[in-house]
Amino acid sequence: MKAARKPALQPPRAAEWLLLALAGDPDAEFVAGDLAENFGCLFARRGGRAACRWYVWQVVRSAPALLSLRMRSGELTGAVLRATLGVLLPLVALDRLWRFVYSQIPLKDGVERDPAMLLANILFVLLCSWAVGRQEPRTPRRAGPDVVAALVAAALAVRVAVGAAPAAYIVCLLLSAAANSFWSPRRRKLR
Amino acid sequence: MKWVLRIVAILVALPLMGAVVLLAMGQRSGAGRSHASIEIQAPPEHIWPWLEDSARLKQWVSWLVEVRDGPHAAPGAGAQRVFVMRDDNNGGALMEIPFTISDYAPPAHVTFHAEVAGSFKGDEVYRLTALGNGRTRLDQVGQYQYQMWIARLMEPLITPQAEKKMRADLTRLKQAVEQSETAPR
Repeated sequence: MKAARKPALQPPRAAEWLLLALAGDPDAEFVAGDLAENFGCLFARRGGRAACRWYVWQVVRSAPALLSLRMRSGELTGAVLRATLGVLLPLVALDRLWRFVYSQIPLKDGVERDPAMLLANILFVLLCSWAVGRQEPRTPRRAGPDVVAALVAAALAVRVAVGAAPAAYIVCLLLSAAANSFWSPRRRKLR
Repeated sequence: MKWVLRIVAILVALPLMGAVVLLAMGQRSGAGRSHASIEIQAPPEHIWPWLEDSARLKQWVSWLVEVRDGPHAAPGAGAQRVFVMRDDNNGGALMEIPFTISDYAPPAHVTFHAEVAGSFKGDEVYRLTALGNGRTRLDQVGQYQYQMWIARLMEPLITPQAEKKMRADLTRLKQAVEQSETAPR
């Protein structure tokens, strides 16, 4: 006979993660703490299912306000700026350069790029995104907007580049674009 | 401020370093020269028409859209032709490349001289060497000079890509010739 499992007093993980990702570093702990407290009360009074429903609904309805707060704090603008300067512009510039190189071939050629050129794209993105990246220590939560902006910038650059890019290149490029958001020369200070 | 300076320094240093490397590479012997070679299972006389005939040229020279005869079209030295190439790296624009045959010795070798004002000038040489047993080695050598300063700077990148394209074209030619050799006549 199975023992009846006691429901854990734990807000739904995905909703909690979304909440932490949406709220900026200064607000995340407070917002999550308040919601967890209310979640606990509701859990005791109306049971786990109702408390979870309430929690998810609270996260969904706070999302626009949290995002707007983050936008006003300049955090998202900074992330977009860093992604544009560190990922999008370098990739677009390199695409223009490769187009020029290929169009100078006396008997012309197609738009399939040499693997060395694709590798150069990845290295250039790593360097540029490091050069324009945030210099303060960052937590995974803080890195969220940077990662999303870098991924969108890389995807956009692939989209506007001529020719089809190999899947392996796209994966490496996306990883490189996002990598810098997690890394900082001063990260050690976090400890 | 320190980080702004670092960003500016990196963004200036990277292209500068690239330019210095390219400048140095541009001084190497054989700059602007591309070479590809292939062995084809056919005698030189059977390959030669593939180097002359407009319709056949379009079958193996990629991105070649049209071959127009110039004022002096008769085969031989001095004959002129215009290759119309599609350039997908330039928005699919059609580029006209005028060629003049400067050296003509069928079925052994032919040299095309190309000159596009403000872009490049150079020679494309096709040399056929009979290897016996109905086999032929075809060597293609391109030697070009670029007229734009940025293209001259980029030459170490352009030439390897030109060579790669040359190899792909010769592979297509080999397939086309060998298929026509085995096809029932």
